[in-house]
Amino acid sequence: MKTPKLRTLLAAYAGLILTAVPVLAHHSFAAEYESKEITLTGVITKVEWTNPHIYFYIDVKDASGTVVNWAVEGYPPNTLKRTGFTRDDLKVGDTVTVTAYRAKDSADRVAGREITFPNGGKKFAGPAAGGGPPSDYK
Amino acid sequence: MTIHLARLLTIAALSACLGLSQDSKPIPRTANGKPDLSGVWQGGGVSLYGEPGLSKRPAAPPPVNPPPKREPVPYQSWAETKTKTFTAADDPTLACLLPGVPRITSMPMPFEIVQTPKEIVIAYESFHAFRIIPINDKLQHPNDLVPTWMGDSVARWDGDTLVVDVTGFNDKTWLSGTGSFHSEDLHVVERFKLNSDDTITYTATVTDPKVLTKPWTTGALLRRPANTRVEEYECIENNQDAAHMHLKK
Repeated sequence: MKTPKLRTLLAAYAGLILTAVPVLAHHSFAAEYESKEITLTGVITKVEWTNPHIYFYIDVKDASGTVVNWAVEGYPPNTLKRTGFTRDDLKVGDTVTVTAYRAKDSADRVAGREITFPNGGKKFAGPAAGGGPPSDYK
Repeated sequence: MTIHLARLLTIAALSACLGLSQDSKPIPRTANGKPDLSGVWQGGGVSLYGEPGLSKRPAAPPPVNPPPKREPVPYQSWAETKTKTFTAADDPTLACLLPGVPRITSMPMPFEIVQTPKEIVIAYESFHAFRIIPINDKLQHPNDLVPTWMGDSVARWDGDTLVVDVTGFNDKTWLSGTGSFHSEDLHVVERFKLNSDDTITYTATVTDPKVLTKPWTTGALLRRPANTRVEEYECIENNQDAAHMHLKK
């Protein structure tokens, strides 16, 4: 008798926790980006540590040797700072690997997820697709 | 150990289900005896809960006083139809405009409550919003209100719960998700209840007879984000997203 009740209650709590998913601060993720993850490796050419989102740009060489400059969007600066990702982590000239979600308009622009830095360290630059946004924006 | 935890969970949850406040542990109070709500609070986001699926941060224990489950907004049928004419590209916050009340409480950024015996001030990181809320037992609003994004707030203490009455809204904000519009008749009553587990149970009851069939209640659990202060968020600085949305109407 107690067990199912407890399960229900725990499920209710899990529900509460699930509502606390990461969010892009001011817009819908799904309206702008695909949910399929891609991986890009390239050299950082520019960093915009700006609101409402940071952007950095990487030169990525495709199979034919053509270089394309991709824009990578991330969390707002304050969110990154609070999760341990600082402006100095992104250095122009560094080669980084980024898992990301491509823009639905097929532009050379992605929502960045996990960054692998030259020293092998990894940090999240933005939310997982589907992880946000958030009940509030649905 | 597990059984003990299970019992605690059951007791806390049953109390919540029955609407009983068995949270009799002490809470911090101000010199005039009111619950001390001051400090930095946040309703959600990775800076509070960490990344999902990772165990980088210890999981927060179940709250002693969970907020109500969020129900769909009870629109009148014509209004329900109208909500479907909007897309995420129409979201006022996409243009960095103020989110209104109660939506601002769920933004994934911190806000600070400053409390005196005469007024409560809430300084939000999101969208540079602020609310100066006089404490006024009659909940009397000024008589010269012109509709605004965040409305006009006055508050009173109902026992240990801070009740904030908000009116004077424009009809340009959204209540919650995509298309959740309202009229200028929007009236919001918020309740802030400080709990012994250092959380605030936030509930908001929303009435708008022009567009809703009945009052709508929403809520959030507010926690104190660790090592966090409210900082600048100049949303319009590099706002590229609006131009990038390509949505069919």
